[in-house]
Amino acid sequence: MLYNQGHTPMPIANWARYGLAATLATAAGGVLIYRRKPGINHDAAPARSARHRRRFGDYRVTGATVTIRATPEQIRACWQGNAQLWPELEYLPFPEGNQPDLLLPPSELRDMASRPLLTRIVAEREDELVAWRSEGDGHADMHGRLRFRDNGAKGTAVEVIMAVRPHHFASAWKTEAMMAEALELGLLRDLRRLRMLIETGEIATARMRPDAA
Amino acid sequence: MRAATFQGKGDIDVRQMPDPAIVNPRDCIIEVTSTAICGSDLHLYDGVIPGVEKDDILGHEFMGRVVAVGKESTLEVGQRVVVPFTIFCGQCFHCSEQRYSNCDNSCPVEDQEVAEKAFGHPMAGMFGYSHLTGGFAGGQAEYVRIPYSDVVPLVVPEDIPDERLLFLSDILPTGWMAALNAEIAPGDTIAVWGCGPVGLFTILSAFQQKAGRVIAIDGVKGRLDMAEQLGAEPVNFHETDILDALKQMTGGIGPDAVIDAVGMEAHGIAIDNMADRVKQAVGIGQDRAHVLRQAIMACRKGGRVSVPGVYGGKADLFPLGAMMQKGLQLRTGQTHVRRYTAELLDLIERDVIDPSFLISHRLPLDEAATGYRNFRDQQDEWIKVVMHP
Repeated sequence: MLYNQGHTPMPIANWARYGLAATLATAAGGVLIYRRKPGINHDAAPARSARHRRRFGDYRVTGATVTIRATPEQIRACWQGNAQLWPELEYLPFPEGNQPDLLLPPSELRDMASRPLLTRIVAEREDELVAWRSEGDGHADMHGRLRFRDNGAKGTAVEVIMAVRPHHFASAWKTEAMMAEALELGLLRDLRRLRMLIETGEIATARMRPDAA
Repeated sequence: MRAATFQGKGDIDVRQMPDPAIVNPRDCIIEVTSTAICGSDLHLYDGVIPGVEKDDILGHEFMGRVVAVGKESTLEVGQRVVVPFTIFCGQCFHCSEQRYSNCDNSCPVEDQEVAEKAFGHPMAGMFGYSHLTGGFAGGQAEYVRIPYSDVVPLVVPEDIPDERLLFLSDILPTGWMAALNAEIAPGDTIAVWGCGPVGLFTILSAFQQKAGRVIAIDGVKGRLDMAEQLGAEPVNFHETDILDALKQMTGGIGPDAVIDAVGMEAHGIAIDNMADRVKQAVGIGQDRAHVLRQAIMACRKGGRVSVPGVYGGKADLFPLGAMMQKGLQLRTGQTHVRRYTAELLDLIERDVIDPSFLISHRLPLDEAATGYRNFRDQQDEWIKVVMHP
């Protein structure tokens, strides 16, 4: 009977509270230890596939990749010269007619930045890449590049990468994460539209009539 | 135009819908002369395939006459065509290798994301088969817009009736590909689960591809009778322990190849299937994979597993250990219809096969709701429904 002398058993509800608190603390500690684990090299993940840090300094980095059965010249010619593509684009900037070094951001990109963005080509390497960056006083600073890589018999791998840094975080963006997700999805859609146009001559639609929504 | 539309689970209604028109330069418009209800339409009807919306026009087995062409179409007005259910561009990497149902370009980009999340990659477009496959209007209608009409439709001769050609749109090539995927060697014993239209064409195809024996498994007597007429040995799963029977019938070895022509809505009262039904009903599982499990267990060591039956989600208790330990090979996929149509049309033209034996009921389009209901609920008699708009 020694074990029962002078003690009041702890109520079950308290056990549950302490148990839950201990579990949460252990889980939080585990996550912290895992994320600070020195063995994890966040730069080792290929391309944009790092598990935790898809950023470069203050910039959030996002992008998309497709393979197109065409040469880099053909792909670039379609991107820069096929006006049928431009109204369909959500995020991928397209060339401004009169000034060869200027790109126009599509409407989605303009909406996200709230003010018009000028985007200027800053580097070009034939058959390899086109890089651009935004100018002016929009709410975001954006850098992007379109890169072409030979993908053997499958065609040319086309990768677009965009790095975005909001100037005034709270005023312009819904949240950075939501923006990055929308941007990534939109860029993938844009590259797929580009592929459709190059490979098939048209952009797939299930509409039953030209005037249908 | 009139069209059979999805109004909700178990609810099909023929309604007035806008006529289609040319949208893209490679399009054509056809006037449908014959259309059929497919077993996989029942997955939509039963609400087990996601992404179907109210007023969607159903139907992916159809044929008709060209009534309008886009400026890049190679067809001419008046030509008679059978239209494969898979829409494909003909130019992408997958199409270049004749894997048409894997086409990268035929599904509109706005509809690619759900399938990409579910399956890892987006699917090709299909007619009348949910927004997972593009939300294209289907062929149970008076008119249909056909994208990529320079490569998708098969132009067919005028002197062969619709009913012998219609099934080139889906189930005949599907049965053919299922048999090809089983890699049948002359004299092989093949077990086919499901004696619906695809299962029966799989049996027909297996014999064409030199199978020695075909064992047909189903629970509906009328369908087993049809399988027997094709030369198969019928086994009724209501009366027979299938694994035991297959071992006995093959001298203890097991079938050389097994073919699951049932898919995600397996019937029967096996314990695993009942559990799958509950999970499907409450939305925590999507596929009732009893047949696939049984087929894998039945297949001989080193054998082949071919799956033409449609699966759309996840399956529990998948016997991966049996696959690995017995060294089985599994091949499956939506049918690359156009890859096989020329060969099959040749067999029809030479009277080697006549697919019209399958048709049990002919209805006007206005009776689509009756056709769907009876095709699902009276499987003994309603083997295949063909409708004429």
